Amino acid sequence: MRKRLRNDILLIGGVLLIAAAFALIFFLTRKEGAYAAVMKNGTEIARYALSAEGEYPITDGETVTNLLVIRGGKAEIAEATCPDQICVNHRAVSKAGETIVCLPQEVVIKIVAETKNAPDMVV
Amino acid sequence: MKRLFSLLTAAALLLSFCACARGETKYTDYSFDYFDTVTTIVGYADSKEEFDGVVSELKALLLEYHRLYDIYHRYEGINNLCTVNDLTDGVHQTVQVDQKILDLLSYAKELYTVTEGKMNVAMGSVLSIWHQYRTNGISHPEEAALPPMEQLREAANHTDIGQMILDETDSTVFLADPAMRLDVGAIAKGYATEQVALYLEEKGITGYLLNVGGNVRCVGAHPDGEPWSVGIENPDTENTEKPHIAYLHLTGQSLVTSGSYQRFYTVEGVRYHHIIDPETLMPGTNFLSVSVLCADSGRADALSTALFTMTYEEGAALIESLADAEAMWVLPDGEQRYSGGFQNYTYQ
Repeated sequence: MRKRLRNDILLIGGVLLIAAAFALIFFLTRKEGAYAAVMKNGTEIARYALSAEGEYPITDGETVTNLLVIRGGKAEIAEATCPDQICVNHRAVSKAGETIVCLPQEVVIKIVAETKNAPDMVV
Repeated sequence: MKRLFSLLTAAALLLSFCACARGETKYTDYSFDYFDTVTTIVGYADSKEEFDGVVSELKALLLEYHRLYDIYHRYEGINNLCTVNDLTDGVHQTVQVDQKILDLLSYAKELYTVTEGKMNVAMGSVLSIWHQYRTNGISHPEEAALPPMEQLREAANHTDIGQMILDETDSTVFLADPAMRLDVGAIAKGYATEQVALYLEEKGITGYLLNVGGNVRCVGAHPDGEPWSVGIENPDTENTEKPHIAYLHLTGQSLVTSGSYQRFYTVEGVRYHHIIDPETLMPGTNFLSVSVLCADSGRADALSTALFTMTYEEGAALIESLADAEAMWVLPDGEQRYSGGFQNYTYQ
């Protein structure tokens, strides 16, 4: 009876240990926090952690078309060469699923984060 | 026995960990080639190749609809709506068109009746003036001006949809008033989105979410059967604390938002957006945005435009008279109003 109890404890301990190992791998390999993905013509060209403050120019290969600024955990377009300036006027984004779209330059800034509550789409 | 149970528990635990790695993966595609807007396709597939295959089929279809319904450009070898407008410019002309154009225009006639004339594809003469002033005002803000009211009123004399004659037998469009112009901006995107979604459904493909410039159409649900989560943008575009004002759980339906914040230009500090009231010939000022939820994306598109220029009371009466439609209105002060069943779909 005692032996069985000991075996059970060993087994439970073993399972927990394996679970902990999986959890550790999961947390170590996962990306740190939320980031802003930059899409140009539908292709992701860069991603920046929202913790990485700085100015990130987006180019069309030659000239800078949009200036992405990350500050205070939020991403925004500070400057753009497009006539309508809709992307510049757009609020800073920080929550999963939020996007800034610049139609003339075909640029999309999308916030990607590990959260269960992010909507699949925003309209 | 106990041991066996423990082993089984352990196995189940391990399997549950592996489960995250298995199953279908969610992919997203962005493109800018259709209807002068951004198209987002979200879908679940076993591989990137499988997703790309579906996306390229959808894009081929969208391109075909985009070219046929384009009122600004003509394309080699096809008669599109731009051709119809150009050839009819001041002269009587019967134009041979693709069946997809006839289908859109006859659907638009039906929605004209449903919306009591608030969604009118024969309003092109008026809308083209606004388009010209808006485009110019965006490119040259220092020159931004409002269109002269006499010019708008003159154009409004040529917006009788009864003068748009469709001949299904000969596949032709004839504008009996040659000063009339077609503008399908209030319905074409939604209609095309619906057709593309139907194509997927006919092929038995589910687990896709399409968004063509604010026309969202769900095809099925998530692979695990859970509904899609769709957020509605806060029309107060300065508000960084609350980017979305509502979240809905949707399966298979369409959600379209028309907003005054989406496309506008500024004249002497005042914003003038793109949704023009057929009665006042000016941008509607009753709401910041109107969202419509119903099965058919073309219908949702037309209804959201129509509701935008109606009063809340008129719009609410229209929505309640339709069996399958729900709506949310955002008033200028930010107040949100809902049709009877809208909040059955929202979650916190």
